[in-house]
Amino acid sequence: MSDPEDAADIVYLPRWRPGGHRVGAHRGRDAGGLGTFRDQVGFLRLPDARRIDLRASLRDPFEGVVVRRFETRSPVETYALVDLSASMRFRGRTDRFGLATAFCAALARSATRIGDGFGLMACDGTLRDELTLPATRHRAAAQAAAARLGTAPCEGRGAEGLLEAARRLAGRPKLIFLVSDFRWPQELIERVLSALALHDVTPVLLADSAEDEGLPAWGLVELDDLEGAGRRLVFLRPSLRRRWIAREAERIEALRRICAPFSRPPFRLADRFDAEALSRHLMTT
Amino acid sequence: MALLPPLGAATPWLLWFLPLALLPLVLSVTRRNAVSSVSAAPEDPLSSGLRIALTAAGMLAIGGLVLALAGPYRAGERVTRIGIGAQVSMLIDRSGSMNETFAGRQPSGAEESKAAASRRILRDFVGERAHDQFAVTAFSTAPMLVVPMTDRHDAVRAAIAAIDRPGLDYTNVARGLGMALSQFGPSAPGVSRALLLVSDGAAVIDPRIQGQLRAEFAKVRPNLYWLFLRTKGSPSIHDKPAGEDTPQAAPERHLDLFFKSLGVPYRAFEAEGAEAVASAVRQIEALERDPIPYTEERPRRDLTGWAYGLAVLGLLLLVLAKLAEAEIVRLPDRKQAPRAADPAPAPAPTRAAA
Repeated sequence: MSDPEDAADIVYLPRWRPGGHRVGAHRGRDAGGLGTFRDQVGFLRLPDARRIDLRASLRDPFEGVVVRRFETRSPVETYALVDLSASMRFRGRTDRFGLATAFCAALARSATRIGDGFGLMACDGTLRDELTLPATRHRAAAQAAAARLGTAPCEGRGAEGLLEAARRLAGRPKLIFLVSDFRWPQELIERVLSALALHDVTPVLLADSAEDEGLPAWGLVELDDLEGAGRRLVFLRPSLRRRWIAREAERIEALRRICAPFSRPPFRLADRFDAEALSRHLMTT
Repeated sequence: MALLPPLGAATPWLLWFLPLALLPLVLSVTRRNAVSSVSAAPEDPLSSGLRIALTAAGMLAIGGLVLALAGPYRAGERVTRIGIGAQVSMLIDRSGSMNETFAGRQPSGAEESKAAASRRILRDFVGERAHDQFAVTAFSTAPMLVVPMTDRHDAVRAAIAAIDRPGLDYTNVARGLGMALSQFGPSAPGVSRALLLVSDGAAVIDPRIQGQLRAEFAKVRPNLYWLFLRTKGSPSIHDKPAGEDTPQAAPERHLDLFFKSLGVPYRAFEAEGAEAVASAVRQIEALERDPIPYTEERPRRDLTGWAYGLAVLGLLLLVLAKLAEAEIVRLPDRKQAPRAADPAPAPAPTRAAA
């Protein structure tokens, strides 16, 4: 990954047919001149003499003239909504916020490369305007916004700003990646996801193996909450470690349940950003 | 009796550092691990118990050290306890006749004088019971205060050892009685008091002084024992004189009558030899068996060792905790700020592009 241009792209497939007249990379809703064959309609519906389907016209017993229609290729807008709450500062095997930044950079690169727009919104308690980028197809601007995210401090207590971001994203469907560790109240997760329900949302769950599988089996550990919920001393032992891991798994399962009616299942991004794994997830869900 | 013994410190100003012992409430001995959410860890009573224990150990360690540096001690004190015994005021005749033997002669050879015999027997009487208190008063013409009321039996024994010094002059019982009575301090309830008069003769008590003595006896209300060392041939306290029955003719008899008229418990022992004296003393001893409050000296005690011991206990726990410490993550570049590292490692490939 030394040269970002060589890194694997994130490949995605929108769940809806984007409209619009711009030429892009995805199968569009409208029929247009070029692209994949879609259907045949009567000449009177589409009076385009260049695309008369001769063979079909001759086959027609009513001697109508048939015109071929083709799918337009349309672009989509992708947005990364990044949680900037203090818990994103966690550093386990990797720097959690670095992982989020890497994801945004890869998405910016992948989206702009195929002519899709890339937008960025970062939220803690409020929407952070200085980091917000409206969707753009401009590659340099997208990369710069992703890089600017890397220098942002994460100090917020909550992620309520995502509700504001969801309001701003109202309108045509967009491909949205919700990047967070989802250590929020369940109620907030539900509100955010339902506010984004019109869009094609993929929750990107930032995890770290140090927080579950990588826990030591024995030892005294003092936990200090990054969001200021205080300190706690924990005497780790195999039974407690099992309970801890089970609890984490339960949390992720709960998140999956909450996401099911609103979005794609969450993608667990742990330890290392793997574009191909994300692509597989996006293509199969 | 106070519940808490009085405590002190050799260098009390060091105790101003004691609030430092509250530091473990704020700071923790173990290294912090920043995690995204402490609620990720399941509830665990053992861990919360350990946290309390470690905080307590930290407080104990700091507090113990500060306390030990200040040099704590328990101050010496006087403890009042209840024992079996009595307050005994001894009034001993030092008139010249006490130097004679029971036979009325100057002692020679193996013979012992009345004073020497009473000294020997009374010395054993003192110290028989640990909590008796004694006062010794001697009298001849004038009373002499030898030892005031005390429980230092050595001093009392020394005073009794001195009563066989050659006596002098006459027997003036009245003033001696007055002084012996004044040895009982302010009355304490339930204390048995005994006035032991040791004499070999008696004297006329002036009627005026008799009134004063009656008042004194009524106030103090001691048990009165008269150990009459009778010289052979001299009249007994019960003998009526042949002639006129006046105090001048039979002073012993009239002193006895006076004592009987006082209204206090009274017994007279007439002893005509050393054995008789000894049996009389044993009887007195047996009679005076009542609880008596006595004071005990407790010396000052250094508590520094205890304080250091507590601190060691706390420190030991802390060291154990430190040894058992583990970390959630061990990052090689812990010191570096996460995003300050500009020649970016793996997760930040976009900076070059940006």
